[in-house]
Amino acid sequence: MPAPQRPPRPHKARPAASAASASAAAPASKGAKRTRRPAERQPSLDDPRIMLDRQISSDLYEPIPPYPTRTEREAEFYTLGDGEMFLNVGPHHPATHGVLRLVLKLSGEQIVDVDPVLGYLHRGVEKICENSDYYHVIDQVDPLEYLSSLFQEWPAVLSFEKLMDVQVPRRAEYIRVLSGELLRISSHTLYMGFLALDLGGLTPILYGFIERDEIVEMLAALTGARMLFNYFRIGGVNGDLNHEFMSRLGDWMSRAARQTEANAGLLNENEIFVRRMRGVGTLDRAAALSYGVTGGNLRASGVPFDVRRAHPYSVYPELEFNVPTRQEGDSLARYLIRVDEIRESLKIIDQCLHNMPDGPVMAKLPRLLRPRPGRAWGAVEGPRGMLGVYAISDGSDQPFRFRIHDPSFVNLETVTALLPGHLLADTMAVVASLDPVMGGIDK
Amino acid sequence: MDRSLRSRLEARLGEYLRAPVYQRNDETEIRIDPGAVPDVLRLLHDSVDLRFEILADLAGVDTGEVMQVVYHLWSPMSFDWLRIVADGLSREDPRAPSATFLWIGAEWLEREAYDMFGIVFEGNRDLRRIFMPPDYTSFPLRKDFLLPDDAARSPGGGVRHVERTHAPATLADDPGTGIRRAPVS
Amino acid sequence: MSFATRTWGGMSSRARLLAIFIPVAIAAAVVTVGALVLLGPPFLDFLGANMPLVRFVVAAVAILLLTVPTAFVLIYLELKVIARMNLRVGPNRIGPWGAAMSVIHGLKVLSKEDFAPTGTDVTVFTLAPVVTYMASVMSLLVIPFAPGLFGQDFNIGLLFFFSMGGLTVVGLLMAGWSSFNKYSLLGGLRSAAQIISYEIPLTLSVVGVIILAGSMSMNRIVLAQSGSALDWFVFKQPLAALIFFIAATAEANRTPFDMTEADSEIVAGFATEYSGMRFGFFFFAEYVNVFIVSALIATIFFGGWTAPFNWPWAYNLNWFHPLSIGILGWVLIVANVVLIGTVLFAIAARLLGGREWGLWDAIGLGFLFLLVVVAGLVGTAGFIAFDWVAGLVWFMAKTYFFVITFVWMRATLPRVRVDQLMGFAWKWLLPASLLNLFVTAAAVIVTTPGGAR
Repeated sequence: MPAPQRPPRPHKARPAASAASASAAAPASKGAKRTRRPAERQPSLDDPRIMLDRQISSDLYEPIPPYPTRTEREAEFYTLGDGEMFLNVGPHHPATHGVLRLVLKLSGEQIVDVDPVLGYLHRGVEKICENSDYYHVIDQVDPLEYLSSLFQEWPAVLSFEKLMDVQVPRRAEYIRVLSGELLRISSHTLYMGFLALDLGGLTPILYGFIERDEIVEMLAALTGARMLFNYFRIGGVNGDLNHEFMSRLGDWMSRAARQTEANAGLLNENEIFVRRMRGVGTLDRAAALSYGVTGGNLRASGVPFDVRRAHPYSVYPELEFNVPTRQEGDSLARYLIRVDEIRESLKIIDQCLHNMPDGPVMAKLPRLLRPRPGRAWGAVEGPRGMLGVYAISDGSDQPFRFRIHDPSFVNLETVTALLPGHLLADTMAVVASLDPVMGGIDK
Repeated sequence: MDRSLRSRLEARLGEYLRAPVYQRNDETEIRIDPGAVPDVLRLLHDSVDLRFEILADLAGVDTGEVMQVVYHLWSPMSFDWLRIVADGLSREDPRAPSATFLWIGAEWLEREAYDMFGIVFEGNRDLRRIFMPPDYTSFPLRKDFLLPDDAARSPGGGVRHVERTHAPATLADDPGTGIRRAPVS
Repeated sequence: MSFATRTWGGMSSRARLLAIFIPVAIAAAVVTVGALVLLGPPFLDFLGANMPLVRFVVAAVAILLLTVPTAFVLIYLELKVIARMNLRVGPNRIGPWGAAMSVIHGLKVLSKEDFAPTGTDVTVFTLAPVVTYMASVMSLLVIPFAPGLFGQDFNIGLLFFFSMGGLTVVGLLMAGWSSFNKYSLLGGLRSAAQIISYEIPLTLSVVGVIILAGSMSMNRIVLAQSGSALDWFVFKQPLAALIFFIAATAEANRTPFDMTEADSEIVAGFATEYSGMRFGFFFFAEYVNVFIVSALIATIFFGGWTAPFNWPWAYNLNWFHPLSIGILGWVLIVANVVLIGTVLFAIAARLLGGREWGLWDAIGLGFLFLLVVVAGLVGTAGFIAFDWVAGLVWFMAKTYFFVITFVWMRATLPRVRVDQLMGFAWKWLLPASLLNLFVTAAAVIVTTPGGAR
């Protein structure tokens, strides 16, 4: 609230410049007592800055929607049974991987039902991309899953290349795979760290950030940015490999395998960690397929679907790597799959470095891109699952429809089936093991 | 480009297809009526030689004249992506059957299509807004959506002149660049 | 405007400060001298007549004053040690090596707005941190820091400690309930369940020690372990030591048993709605609890203030009487040592550090170094000469060893889930402690000639 007016302090002898203002101000307030204007002292009751101690009504603090429920599922969720209560694991929470609101219906500590509320990070990326030209789309689509930006750009350029029938040079493809796999390792290392942090272990995340920092510095030497890379272009990549990148990569590769084993061992061999993850949030094969889950979460439930093998793109047909699959489907399996994937990515990076061809890194394209009218779908395997882009072109220089399919979106949907029956503490284990990134979920 | 897929699709879904099976690069596209969606999806999912078990995407599209719902599926029996375009939803009252009987994950994808376009999916138990606040009154990704228009209707109001009540524009030429938009098929 | 207003307005801030300070100082000096002269002797006579009361008051005040620096030191230790384990540096800006961090935290916590959220039960909300803090502080009364240095020597000292541990539950439940917040409620209930279920193995595991020592008084327990390190109860009751360590971690709400304040699940548990000094009380209470359980482990199982081996000499500096030099002598010695020592160390710093150290920096560093050296020398002399200094040093060393172990566990281990925690207490620790108790009792009966005492 603004402070009440004070009379000006009497000044000592001052230079003449301010004498006028001082003498002008002085007579008005000379002898005036300190008055408080009533309007400032008691602001209007409608002022939202004031919170009075009103009678606390029972519906003031419930997350029950203040509008009548409109759907069957909403009505079912928002009716409380006997002894149940709502708990808002709200958008402001230290461990919800971003601004995610989970409305939990609890009976004591046991979760009966969960209703995730999204949209706190919705930025209208699809609409923005409809008003941007094709080069600008790549920049706009970066901050979706900000931890692995290159994997957002990849399906976009893939679908645009299909629309425009552009042939990407082989060197560019290899560079794409190399940078992508590096970023996959970085994202998975961070995943392990955040999983441990949500369960209470303070140390693994800092070890994970060491790895991530090294990889991100490498990619900064290559692309110019540490996080939102804006590196892929339609028809190639923006800039060839340089000496600093290669030297950093060499340094890192010499100790990467050992470091990964050490970081993974910090969690794998920790009895408390394993007991909290085993058997928690089990997603069986039929449910995983039914929810449309992709990526590590699907492979942990026994379905060996990896876009790099199922529908190969880029130079993956030439590279040798396994697709790790596990049958249990619980949080521990999801975690272990990510660790296996890091090892596979290291193999892929090795092969890329050995087989890197020479040549241009960018195809020749006109300045103003106007593809023929048509439709294209491009999908890649990101760290969290299958990222897809459905692009419709109408002949102008802006995409007519730019649809982004984000894996975290469908992965998070499984939470409604996985959480009920577990305890409140398992919320964090399950949500963290699914690896959601709210930027991608909310687009 | 999977030729055998084309013949298998024509054999299975003959009477449902509204246009010839269109293949380009590594995608196969079929067009159906919205009412046929449950039957077609069921056939694609359950047939032994098709087995499209993985739902890759469910999107809404506003072409300016009509609305579409576009499904992308994948099967281990074919190397192509299958795109199913359920064409011909009216822009005033777009309705389509829901795919949640086959894939539970379609629930949130259909919520997103409803939120962005207003397409009502019959059979979806939970068709409410997912990104926008629950009392939002417009559908953002439609082609006739203008932000000042929406701000005038929203409770937040908008104090600047450009955010006040405003007649909505019709979809003609793009006012920004003047590019005449080609009809989208 | 009156003369006073004009004069006051016309003074600079320094003048204002002096104008307030000088009259107040004069008045305080006059009052103090008058009180000393008039009331001094009768007061001293009264004190001399009631020595136990005096002793108790001094002990209680000392313990209350001890808790805050202890908490400060523990907070700083925790921040630094966890940081080093996380391969980072920790606080290093405020004070030398970040040592003044805790003080600044304390001041910050004092300067926050004091409010209670709407809907809370304000009386209970305000009293909860007080109850928790007092429970921790009172437990310090019974711990023997050195021979002769303890608050009170109850002959049920150990039982007193366990009852104070139970009092912590009351404070946490009050906090959880009175905050108008479901997270706090969950945190408070979890804490109540956890502390109560771990009290039983805690108490039972110590009964073996009580049997061996023959008394519940902490002093007697420590004296029963005097001798060499092999007399320590950890070698006679290893299972009990292990159970006590685990149960004490749960009692102190430390990781891996810190479900009550799991900050990735229920934000801050029972303390979600607390801020300012109220939160400061909870914070201090937690660290004092850590100190207390470490002290208890050191006392009960590791010999308290006894040395690990028989101290070879009992040296007394009685060839040197401090008062024989006189006050003037002491003043001259101190002044000379300070000046010469500072200059010497400043020269050394300047030579070794190169041109980095400016003149005043070098003098300051020299003074600090001198203080450290003098403290070390005096400490060593005290250690050799006085048995209570030696005992205190051993006690503090053992306690801080266990404190660092607790901090180490916090840095490394994730959290145990609530049902796993309770299952562990009831299904594993309780039977183990019962087993330990029976075996100890049977062994005592068998080995004591003529049956049990």
